[in-house]
Amino acid sequence: MTTTTALATQVYQVFIRSTPEAIWEAITKPEFTEKYFHGSRIEITPAGRRSFGPDGEVRGDSPVLEFDPPRKLVHGWQSLYDPELAEEEPSRVTWEIEPQDGGFCKLTVTHDQLEGAPKTAESVLDEGWMMVISGLKTVLETGEPLAG
Amino acid sequence: MAHDDRVFKALADPTRRFLLDRLFARDGRTLTELESDLEMTRFGVMKHLRVLEDAGLVVARRSGREKLHFLNPVPIRLIHDRWIDKYTERQVSALANLKNELEDTA
Repeated sequence: MTTTTALATQVYQVFIRSTPEAIWEAITKPEFTEKYFHGSRIEITPAGRRSFGPDGEVRGDSPVLEFDPPRKLVHGWQSLYDPELAEEEPSRVTWEIEPQDGGFCKLTVTHDQLEGAPKTAESVLDEGWMMVISGLKTVLETGEPLAG
Repeated sequence: MAHDDRVFKALADPTRRFLLDRLFARDGRTLTELESDLEMTRFGVMKHLRVLEDAGLVVARRSGREKLHFLNPVPIRLIHDRWIDKYTERQVSALANLKNELEDTA
C-alpha cells in the first residue's frame, strides 16, 4: 500500500454546460487548449497527440489509442516538459464525454497506468488536472480563460 | 437538483465525509474495503456511496471483476472557487484597507 500504487490511477469528473461536439473541439484543437492547458497548444488527431509550449518547445508527443468523436479519446502521456519526468515510463489518459439532461455533459478524465511514472503521477495529481479541467469548463461555459 | 446543491447535501453527513477522507488517504477502493472501516451494513454504505456518486464526488470504475471507488476532487474545487475564495478574499482586502486607513491617519 505505497503512495505509488495510490496514485497509479486518477479520476477527475466535471459537468459542463456544453455540447459533446464543442467539448471534443476544446480538447483536440490547439487554439482552445492554449486557453486552459498551461498555455500548451495541443493537437490531437487519430495519428497522435502533439503538445507545444508558447515558444514552440515540444511538451508532449504520444500515440492516440482510441479516437471516437465526440465520445471517447484515449492517448498516451509522457511529460516531455520536464527532463526528470520525461525519463519515466509512458502512462495513459482517457477522456469520456457523456451527454446529460438539461444541456449538460459529463466529462470524465482518467489518468492511469502510472505505475512506472511515480513522479509524473505526483506532478499531475489534483492541482495539475484540476486546473486543466476547471479551466476547460470555464472556457466552454463563458468563452473566457480563468483569470490569473 | 442543481449540482452545487447535490455536493452540499452529500457533504452534510459525517459518514459521507468519512468515506471521502478514506478515499483521500488511499484512492480506488472496493465497497468491501470501505465497509470494513464503518460500523454499518453493506446496504447503508452503498446508499451513502450512491449519494456521493450522484454529486460527482466519487466515481466508480470497473477493474476486472472489481468495482473501485475513486475520489473526484473537482466539485470541491469548484465550490471552493465559488463559495470560499470570494468571501475570504474580501475579508483580507477589508483588513488591508483598514490597515491603510489607520496608517494614513496616524
